[in-house]
Amino acid sequence: MNALVLGAAGFLGLNLVDALRDLGVDPLCARRRRTNVIPLRSRKARMVVADLDDPASIRAAMDGIDVVFHAAGHYPRHSQDALATFETGLRQLDNVLEAAAEAGVSRLVYVSSTATVAPSPKGLSDESDQFLTSPGFGVYHDLKWLMERRASAEDRFEIRVACPGACIGPWDLRVGTSALLVAAARHVDVPHPDGIVALVDGMDAARGIAAQGLAERAPDRVLYAGGNYRLHTLRTALALRYGGSLPAPPIGAAEAEARADTEERRALAERRRPELSREIVDLVVHGVPVDASLATRALGLQYTPLAQTLDRYDDWARRMRIIPPSIDAPSVEMLSAPEPHPPEQSP
Amino acid sequence: MMTPDIQESRVRRILSDLTNVPPTEIKAGDRLREDLGLDSVGSMELLSMLAEEFDIDVEMEEAAAVSDVAGLMALARRHIA
Repeated sequence: MNALVLGAAGFLGLNLVDALRDLGVDPLCARRRRTNVIPLRSRKARMVVADLDDPASIRAAMDGIDVVFHAAGHYPRHSQDALATFETGLRQLDNVLEAAAEAGVSRLVYVSSTATVAPSPKGLSDESDQFLTSPGFGVYHDLKWLMERRASAEDRFEIRVACPGACIGPWDLRVGTSALLVAAARHVDVPHPDGIVALVDGMDAARGIAAQGLAERAPDRVLYAGGNYRLHTLRTALALRYGGSLPAPPIGAAEAEARADTEERRALAERRRPELSREIVDLVVHGVPVDASLATRALGLQYTPLAQTLDRYDDWARRMRIIPPSIDAPSVEMLSAPEPHPPEQSP
Repeated sequence: MMTPDIQESRVRRILSDLTNVPPTEIKAGDRLREDLGLDSVGSMELLSMLAEEFDIDVEMEEAAAVSDVAGLMALARRHIA
C-alpha cells in the first residue's frame, strides 16, 4: 500500500511515520520547502516538497498514492482574524481534497481534533457526539468544526476522521501541549483557566491513526485520548513532580479569554509566541471528557499510562535542550500521574 | 573538496537568508537567539537548511546543542568532508 503523510515533519506527522513503518508501510513524507527536516533525514524518509497553497505540488505528491494521511490541517497561531483563518483553513483543505480526487486516491484520513466533539448527556462524549452547528466558542473550535464538516462531506473517495486530544510526547519540537510540562520544569506559573483536557500520548494517537488508515474496515470517526484530566489538577501534579510551588488558583473563563486576547495582540505586534493563547483557553474552558475506547475495541490500540508518557517526554526534551540540562530530573517519589477525570472511562 | 572559506561563506548566506542580517555583519560570537533574533523554531529551520545545503546528516540532539554562529561553523566543519 502506498501512503502519503501530509505534515510529516510535524509532531504528529513524525510519530505517524514511525507508526506506519512499524506496520510495514514506508510512507512518502510531504514537507514544506522551509521547515525542519532533520528528524525526517535521520529517519532516511522518502520526502517530497508539497505546499498546501500550491495545488500542483500536492497533486504531484499524490501520484500513485492509495492512502493519504492529512496531518497538516491549518492550525491558527492566534485567534485575532477569524475570517482570514477560516479562509486559509478551508482553502488548503479544498486543495488537498481536489488533489486526492484527481490523483485517484482511495482513502484519506483527515486528522481533526477533539475540539469538534460535542458535550454529551451521557457524561462522556464519544464518536457520535458532534456539533450540529458551529460551536461558537472561538476561532479554533469553529475552524476545526468547519474543516471536519467539509472533509466529512467528501464523496469522491473514502474519508476517515481521526480526532486526537491534546498530544504530548517526543517530537513536539514546537512545544505545544508539552508547554505545560516545560513550564512546570522551569518553575514558571502562567495563569490558566480550569476545565477538562483530554490528553493522549502522541505515539498512541499515531499508532491509532495509522491503523485506522490502513485497515480494510475501520470506523469513519475515531477519538484518541488516554485520559481526561482537570487542568488545575494536572498542573498541580506537574509542579510537585518538578519540585516547584503549587500553581496559582485558576482564573475565570471570561478573565482568561480577555487575557489571552490581549496577550495575542501584544505577541503579534512583537512577533513572538503568546504566553497564553485564546485557542488554549477555549480548549480548556469548553473541553469535554471523552470516551476514547473505540480505538481500543476497533483498532486494538492500548493507551500508554500518562506517567510513562511524561517520563519519555522528559528524557527526550532534555536531549533536545527543550528542558535545560541544569534542571533537576523529576524525583522518583513524584512520578505518579494524577487520576483521570472522571475516574472511570467506561460504564 | 570545499575550502573552509567557501563553506563559511555558504553558512553565512543561509544565516543571512533567515535573519536578514547581511553576511558581512554576522560575527562568530553572535548567538542565534539573542543576537540574531531566531526563536527555537527558526534555529531548527536554520540547522535543517544547513543539512540540506551540504547534504549532511545531523542528529537532532547535535543540532539542538548549537546556540551561536561559532557552534554552527564547528558543526559544518565536523560533517563536511
